[in-house]
Amino acid sequence: MKVNPFIYGALILVLFFGVIGGAKAAGVWSVSGKLTASGEKLAPTGANPDEIKGWMTLDDISTAYNVPVAEILAEFDLPADTPGATQVKALESDTFSTTALRTWLKARLGQ
Amino acid sequence: MTTTVNTKVSGKIKPRRKGLASLLSHHTFRRLTQLGVFLFIAFIAIRHMLVGEEGAVITASWEAYCPMGGLETLYKYITSGGKFVSHVHLSNVVLLVAALAVALIARNAFCGWLCPFGFIQDMISSFSALVQKRVPALRKAVKTLKKSGARLAVLDRYLRFLKYGVLAWAVLGAAAYGFMVFRDFDPWAALWNLLELSLAAGTIVLAIVLVASLFVERPWCRYACPLGAATGLVGKLSPFYLKREAAACTSCGICTKACPVGLPVHTATTIKHADCMSCLECVDECPRDGALMLKLGVPVFGK
Repeated sequence: MKVNPFIYGALILVLFFGVIGGAKAAGVWSVSGKLTASGEKLAPTGANPDEIKGWMTLDDISTAYNVPVAEILAEFDLPADTPGATQVKALESDTFSTTALRTWLKARLGQ
Repeated sequence: MTTTVNTKVSGKIKPRRKGLASLLSHHTFRRLTQLGVFLFIAFIAIRHMLVGEEGAVITASWEAYCPMGGLETLYKYITSGGKFVSHVHLSNVVLLVAALAVALIARNAFCGWLCPFGFIQDMISSFSALVQKRVPALRKAVKTLKKSGARLAVLDRYLRFLKYGVLAWAVLGAAAYGFMVFRDFDPWAALWNLLELSLAAGTIVLAIVLVASLFVERPWCRYACPLGAATGLVGKLSPFYLKREAAACTSCGICTKACPVGLPVHTATTIKHADCMSCLECVDECPRDGALMLKLGVPVFGK
């Protein structure tokens, strides 16, 4: 069967953008690890330390897990004057990592 | 691709479209589609560069809109129950599914109609052709260069397999090492990283592809694109194909010259090659009515 090239072009667009639109409608879409599927900024909930990402700040974690920034800094021998707005990944060293922070918070929460 | 050469010709010459009517072609439709996708990605990349993602407003990176990322994270996504390699998000997996859906139904049309890197190569080749048309000395020089390099054409057939090696390396490398091994060599990534004055091995690959596009159409797509390799293979299952009617064809070779990936269209009866990106330039350029057309048949075997 002969196919009109315009119909073929339209089919390509419908297929491609249809899959994307369908995924978006179903909530199966995220363009950043910092955003939820609906496009809202992701924030730690305080329920599970595994949710902590390197881009989160000490303040984010302090608020969500109800732990003072000073306690985190002291636990990992980090400079006491480190600003709370510092991202966790920016502090990574031999003695501190996002994984170490998660493990410590889990122990603190008794998980 | 089966091959025959005709002896009889019955196809009438297509009436030549003039003025605005010449713009009402699927070629224009395709170019507008390509341009739209390219402008969207350019907007995303520039916005991300200007706004970033450290402040109150988070903007997505252009990388979130690349189906290749979906391919590279696929192993980790499946085996880890939904986790991604760095720089990849759910959108990449969705875009990969969309590109493969297009391939499954409409052959390798993602490359011909949607890929913005293919569009850049097309634009450079069109620019080169335009300049050569206006500057006879340059046209002569390019012709001489192509003539002297004609003996290398034999390599073309074998170099086309290179993209499957790149595909295996990118996918297996990401699966083995847990990060995108191809990323530093990716010319598409290198192009947008230039906005942030970031250079990598991919910058050299990008420069080679852009310069090569002045002389050969779609060099990256022909020889090295791993995404095109994947969609090309899936596209073999598509029910769409191109058919050349030997009785209406004069074997003038215009279709072969128009093919951006250099397939010998004028000697084939059906075109189902994995490299065919369904751009339909051959159909557009064919001067004979009914000599070359897009058809729908039974996938794989059907005509």
